[in-house]
Amino acid sequence: MSALLSAKGLIGLTLVVFVGLVAVLSPLFIPEALSTKIDVTARLMPPSLDHFFGTDQLGRELFYRVLLGASTSLFIAFSAVALSILLGLPLGVLSGYFAGWTDHILMRIVDTLLSFPAILLALAISAVLGPNLRNTIIAIGIAFAPYLARIVRGETLKVCSLPYMEAIRSQGASNARIIWRHVLPNIMPPVIVQATISVAFAILAEAGLSFLGLGTQPPTPSWGLMIQASRDFLDVAPWTAVVPGIAVALTVLGLNMLGDVLRDVLDPTVVFDK
Amino acid sequence: MRYLLNRLALLLLTLLLISIATFILTNILPGDVATMILGTRSSPEKLAALQNVLGLNDPLVVQYWRWIWGILQGDFGVSLRFKVPITTLIGQKILASGMVVALSLMIAIVLAIPLGIIGAVKQNRWQDTLSSGIALTGISLPDFFWGILLILVVSRGLGWLPSSGYVSPAVDFWAAIQHSILPAIALGFGLMAQLTRMTRSAMLEVISQDFIRVCRAKGLAEGNVILKHALRNAIAPVVTVAGLQLGYLFGSIIVVETLFNYTGMGWLTYQGLINRDIPLIQATIFVIATVFMFSNLIVDMIYTALDPRITFD
Repeated sequence: MSALLSAKGLIGLTLVVFVGLVAVLSPLFIPEALSTKIDVTARLMPPSLDHFFGTDQLGRELFYRVLLGASTSLFIAFSAVALSILLGLPLGVLSGYFAGWTDHILMRIVDTLLSFPAILLALAISAVLGPNLRNTIIAIGIAFAPYLARIVRGETLKVCSLPYMEAIRSQGASNARIIWRHVLPNIMPPVIVQATISVAFAILAEAGLSFLGLGTQPPTPSWGLMIQASRDFLDVAPWTAVVPGIAVALTVLGLNMLGDVLRDVLDPTVVFDK
Repeated sequence: MRYLLNRLALLLLTLLLISIATFILTNILPGDVATMILGTRSSPEKLAALQNVLGLNDPLVVQYWRWIWGILQGDFGVSLRFKVPITTLIGQKILASGMVVALSLMIAIVLAIPLGIIGAVKQNRWQDTLSSGIALTGISLPDFFWGILLILVVSRGLGWLPSSGYVSPAVDFWAAIQHSILPAIALGFGLMAQLTRMTRSAMLEVISQDFIRVCRAKGLAEGNVILKHALRNAIAPVVTVAGLQLGYLFGSIIVVETLFNYTGMGWLTYQGLINRDIPLIQATIFVIATVFMFSNLIVDMIYTALDPRITFD
């Protein structure tokens, strides 16, 4: 556990906890009206004491929008990763556990999906379903699922080849019991690591989709949307891009640092050094 | 030989599955091509007539067969948005994207390998912290935000490079390079970061092995040990990661090319998606997935060439 207490672990954990708190608390304390209030007299104001992070092209306070953007971003990312686990975990376990034809067919499907770059797949699904918040979650969740299925399958194969599996089987345990009691708990560590890193990627994906107009739709405060809107005002108001950009970067950085450290902690083959 | 044949069969099967997946995905799109051409306010009779002409009332299998048969003859149909054959469009745009992808790969590799080696050799010293820090930043910055920073600083601030547009190298080679540098850096930064991390960890693993100690013991110069003996053994996993990351790169071109108004395949895909140009969407998705699949094959071949211990027979 000492890895979690390393500088990297502490910084990562602090960032993640901080953004998490902002995401949970800001919708409780910031009325939505504050973040959508249009003030034409205060358009594109630079950051100052009156306007903490400056204002956007409609005079809306970036400070409130960035804080509320955290909850949009994290909500989408967590839901999408949950969906990808919901799809990928059973697929991977079944494929690895039953092997043979089941494995062949399922893995062909997974490989086909993997031939599409994840973002392309997410963009296409979002365009097909019609871009909105719910469909962004579905698009990212489906696009990420095959990666998870691959990892889960590999881990399941590894666990199933261990001698103790044979012992359990010879005792007459049912497939369901073996999967539930013995396979699932043993494949959890890599799944947790992958999920942490996936949340980071999902945040990037949501920002990218929204940036292209195929993700979250206005007026929902979304970091990607804010960066998209800033494009026309880059010369006069660079902060409209920089503020939400830094918000994305810090969140993803925190998750990545935490992911690295979790991998060191949960993967016994990696020797941790301070 | 047997391996090659197997691989070829698998390749064809995957291509077939990719085409089916693309076709199914784009056929769930609400609204059909006829409505796109005539607009939503056209009379139902006209619509039905055009649907018949385009064969949209045929069973899906028949439609798929017509589509795939066209592709086999190099015909992707006509773009609804641009009103020209898609094959021509793709022919022009794929060169633009190829240039930017090649440039970004070059940038990523040239920076990542030295950074990763320094990180491993100077493990836990400031050089390592610096190189790991750069790498972590690289995987955490969204590519389009990094692109915007480049536009702000390099283009607007310093005025060194153009921030938007594409020039064909056939027209003006120098201008073509200038226009593709910023998109290439924006695209390559994330890949560079991944490769740096991989190079560092692969080098660390190799450096601690006995044969490296033997190299040192027999008095080889340190530079020789690291660059010739260690790197040679560490490079294979780095190539694998580079290959896996290519998919990420091919996805990123959609965002980055759109940001820089760089009219390549990514930009074309985006135009298809936002205009609901179904034939164009089908074609671009299919082509990108196919190129991705072939580049994976090439990576596998490089992998075997780099590490003679791996054979596929």
